[in-house]
Amino acid sequence: MQLLAYLGRRLLFVAPQLVGILLVSFFLLKLIPGDPAVMMLGPFATDDGLARLRAELGLDRSLLEQFLIYLGNVLQGDLGTSWQTTLPVTTDLAQRFPATLELVTLALLLALAIGVPLGVAGARYKKGLLRTTADYYGLFAGALPDFWFGLVLIFLFYTTWALVPAPLGRLDFVILPPPEITGSLLIDSTLAGNWQALRNAAGHLVLPVLTLGLINAGPILKMTQSTMERMLESDFSRYAEMCGLPERVVARKALRNALPSVVTIVSVLYGFLIGGAVLVEIVFSWGGAGQYAVGGVLNADLNPVMGFVLYSAILSLVIYLIVDLIYFAIDPRTR
Amino acid sequence: MAEAPAKGDGAPPGSSATAGGSGGIAFFLALLRARPAYALGYVIVATVVVLAVLAPWVAPYNPVQASPVDFLKPPGWPHVMGTDATGMDIFSRVIYAPRIDLAIALAGTLISAVVGSALGAAAGYYEAQRGIGTFAAGFVMRAADVLQAFPVFVFAIAVVAVLGQSLQSVVIAVAFVNTPIYLRLMRGQVLSIRRMRYVEAAYIAGVSDFGIIRRHVIPNAMAPVLAQLSVNIGWAILLTAALSFIGAGVEAPTPEWGSMIAMGFQSIITGHWWPSIFPGLALAVTVFGFALIGSSVEVLADPARRRALAGELEARRRARLATA
Amino acid sequence: MSDPRLPFLDRRSFFRTTSAIAGAAVMPRILSIPSAHAQAGSTMVIAAPATPQSLDCNFDVSLGTFEAIGALYDGLLGFEKIPDPGVPSASREDISFHADLPGGVNMVGKLAESWELDPSGTRVVFKLREGVMSNWGNELTAEDVRWTWNRAFELGALGAFYTAVSGLKSPDDVRVEDKYVVSFNTAEPNPLLLKIQTNLYTPVYDSTKCKEVGGTDDPWARKFIENDSAGFGPYRLQQLTRGQQAVFAAREDYWGGKPAIDTVVFREVPTSAARVQLLQGGAVDIAQYLQPLEIISLQNVPNVVVETVPASFMIWIELNAKTPPFDNVDVRRAMNFAFPQQQVLDAVYQGLATPLNGCMPNIYPGFSDEFFEYSYDPAKAKELLAGAGFGDGFTTSLAYNAGDPVQEPIAIIYQTALREVGVELELKKIPAGSFYNAVTERGQPMIFYVDSPWCPDPGYSLTLYFDSASYVNYSNYENAEVDRLIAETAATADEAARLDMMKEAQGIIMSEAPWTFIAYPNYTMARKAELEGFTYYTSNNIRFQDFHRA
Repeated sequence: MQLLAYLGRRLLFVAPQLVGILLVSFFLLKLIPGDPAVMMLGPFATDDGLARLRAELGLDRSLLEQFLIYLGNVLQGDLGTSWQTTLPVTTDLAQRFPATLELVTLALLLALAIGVPLGVAGARYKKGLLRTTADYYGLFAGALPDFWFGLVLIFLFYTTWALVPAPLGRLDFVILPPPEITGSLLIDSTLAGNWQALRNAAGHLVLPVLTLGLINAGPILKMTQSTMERMLESDFSRYAEMCGLPERVVARKALRNALPSVVTIVSVLYGFLIGGAVLVEIVFSWGGAGQYAVGGVLNADLNPVMGFVLYSAILSLVIYLIVDLIYFAIDPRTR
Repeated sequence: MAEAPAKGDGAPPGSSATAGGSGGIAFFLALLRARPAYALGYVIVATVVVLAVLAPWVAPYNPVQASPVDFLKPPGWPHVMGTDATGMDIFSRVIYAPRIDLAIALAGTLISAVVGSALGAAAGYYEAQRGIGTFAAGFVMRAADVLQAFPVFVFAIAVVAVLGQSLQSVVIAVAFVNTPIYLRLMRGQVLSIRRMRYVEAAYIAGVSDFGIIRRHVIPNAMAPVLAQLSVNIGWAILLTAALSFIGAGVEAPTPEWGSMIAMGFQSIITGHWWPSIFPGLALAVTVFGFALIGSSVEVLADPARRRALAGELEARRRARLATA
Repeated sequence: MSDPRLPFLDRRSFFRTTSAIAGAAVMPRILSIPSAHAQAGSTMVIAAPATPQSLDCNFDVSLGTFEAIGALYDGLLGFEKIPDPGVPSASREDISFHADLPGGVNMVGKLAESWELDPSGTRVVFKLREGVMSNWGNELTAEDVRWTWNRAFELGALGAFYTAVSGLKSPDDVRVEDKYVVSFNTAEPNPLLLKIQTNLYTPVYDSTKCKEVGGTDDPWARKFIENDSAGFGPYRLQQLTRGQQAVFAAREDYWGGKPAIDTVVFREVPTSAARVQLLQGGAVDIAQYLQPLEIISLQNVPNVVVETVPASFMIWIELNAKTPPFDNVDVRRAMNFAFPQQQVLDAVYQGLATPLNGCMPNIYPGFSDEFFEYSYDPAKAKELLAGAGFGDGFTTSLAYNAGDPVQEPIAIIYQTALREVGVELELKKIPAGSFYNAVTERGQPMIFYVDSPWCPDPGYSLTLYFDSASYVNYSNYENAEVDRLIAETAATADEAARLDMMKEAQGIIMSEAPWTFIAYPNYTMARKAELEGFTYYTSNNIRFQDFHRA
């Protein structure tokens, strides 16, 4: 009940915030020079034709009017059409968001698998190799430009050793993709029993997931380590130690208490990476959502960008909600 | 460093100046001795800065001088890092690059720190009051929410696209993206300081709002802002390079790490790795240096950690004396 | 028609085509490619930068559209084919001047069986082939030709350009003389009456089908033609998923006989590196539009053949004659003397281009190379600048297209070279999406341009870029004598006299240097070894029907 009331209150704040986000992005993007009508009609456009197209696109109305029309359409689930792909933005995003989500999710899982154990170890030992690794890993990972790191991996694993498929998209050109169910190639090809596609998709995922995973393990590690340290120094841990509980048990209890902050950092990273993975998407020709949005910004293609901003805002909100639910589950104080 | 000048009525808590007994340069040097990695950070950054400043004398070639007969020469002599597709010397460009990257990152971060802190201080201070102030503070915070809800990168590109491609645009984009961080940080600080008794006292004594903010609130909230600043610069360098990588940064052929990586990006598949690997390495090492400095500042700015460190240093000194 | 290949390469595909943001590299939902590894005899898979946008050649000039129009439609005439003199395995059109042939051109009938050019040069009569069927099963008649040109008149847009250059004033100038006989009539003698019928963008529509689907709301069937086809070409459209692929199926009932390749899969693969990989790995039969370094890297790959032939492409820098100091002829000439042309060709084009030593394609009749005097000579450039009052140099800017990977290196090399003569050049990268805007606005002092006049004719070519009234004259060049020569050439049917006049015009233009002359990039076909039949057309597209497997 408490939970429902909380969710209700949250949603009450969400709507105006979404409108605010749309408003800002709309006006910001409208400031970008470039006339889609000219780009669409090309070199032999007549003034008459341009005027007609602008009217068709509603570009001859006032900005406010244009925004209200846009908002009205959004409420009906219509995000407009991209003039570059000539497809509805919802269709384009439905195709590209899963690509990004699959990449980001796997990368974060990898980051967790590296960051949490290393962070715990770093907090438990005051000296030694593990501690030093933990101390410097975070700093160094945070210093690596992901787009460059991706290139290095490509150079080593593709160009030099030829261990992975060409870094060009999610699946080899000749592989028939599985029928789309979830949008994740790994899951879909498993469901379809298409092992060739599964192997191939996994091969394509290796490098970009490594790139993002290794880099984003840094902040997770840091957060785990510092929270764990605090927890281990806190009264309850001291008390447990004094009571003679084995160190492992104390550490497990401390970790349990440190989990909320780990969950928080993961959610923040998730929200960030939806748009922030764009450079890695570019390097690997991934065809994800971020790439789509950046292409839109640079080609005066407004609708894809708006759609992307809206999707990622909603997605971030959903993630934060899920995080809150996880809090309810792991932190007794919130109950 | 983070010596909060704690003058004024009452003893402001959270001031780091009191921690650990020893202060100033001596403490700093002792810290560097105790943590060589921090020293490494300062060495890296100093080297990069010195090379950049002395670049006109150190660089073997003009960084924007194409030499089409020498295109795509692999690393060797006289081009230690090879040449790019137009025959420009990569080593010279790599050491010139921080002139742009660091300048943009510093300017952008400083602007965001100043603007963000000022807005945050005002928002935090007025939030507790009634009337128009609260409303304005609320508005600023909601605006920051909206700004932060944006995917950072898409937003930065959009800013550059609106303003046109130039150095200033990149600075503004970096500043825009970072401002909410300082805004929140400062607001949080101010909210906690605002409740302190000495501030209340000043308020009752009739000191003006501005006076209170200036004399009590800002000095005491500065330490975490400084710490954040040093961490942030590294990140701003990455953002600058990323913008250039995507083509929304500085104009070619300005020597800049991100755009150098971008120029060499296509040829990595055909095996020409040097045009993009070297600038990326320089970028990573530099940001790593800043990260090390950042964590040393974090230690210095955090009274508890500072105290612990001072204790540790003291113990070491004693141990050394004892063995001597 | 000029062929704004690059602007459109970009327009669609800023980053798709080239490096960065490969917009639609998403691979899922590929509709099943008939036997993916394309060895199955009669399927051909092409990796292209972009799928066709609109299939209506009245409105669209994007890369994929060129290829689609060539497959879906036929025109009345074509040039006779000859073997390429440099690359024996390739063919090309015989576009040279033949004094003994009508109109001076060596042509073959396509939809037209025979034709008769009136000696006055004001009328040409075409007798159509009988029994030619469209992909909808309607027979070709003179009415189809009339309707097609009427459509061009009514819709304006691209078609209006063709009506204008052919000297047609109204729809009534195209007359149905008989069920299979149609005539074109002009008031003035027009030298292009025949050549224009060979153009890729003057195909004939199946008017019966168009009228049927268009009804009264859309009398010119715009919606239909945008997404489907109604023509007399060798292929019909089987599927078009923009951003992914287009599939073409050979027509059994094509008048010229069924093409050797049954099915053509035209896949969008935005990054050129990816297209190289696909060809190397054998996944595709043809990889289009590759970068010079990539082409070089393909030359030693077994089972891959690279044919690179002289083409109608030209790349140059517009020196805006309305922006000081480029209003000064000597400054423009100095800009050319300061341009290290050969170095650019070696470093950037890796030898896959020849120096642009004229102001029209060097493969066209009437071209003359004797007016090019701008070999790299910084001293001469300095001298000219000093004479023009710019002894201390000046500062200007050069805009280039972020979507075309050769432009940035050329710009950087030029910048370095200009510094030597005291000219400070700022480089301005323009996103491909808005590059075309920047060109047409004519506001930049210097801007790159890549183009190719599609009609192999000197009058046509020079009109495009140097007639002061031409829309495509983006350098704002204006010379009364050149204008006069161009006007006279356009109204003269005597081919030899036209060539003389155009040579004179080239002399004037070259000496006034409205451009910085860069290169004639080659057209390169990168294909599997067993796929033969490549023919180069001045429209710079391939036609699927030319290919067969060895």
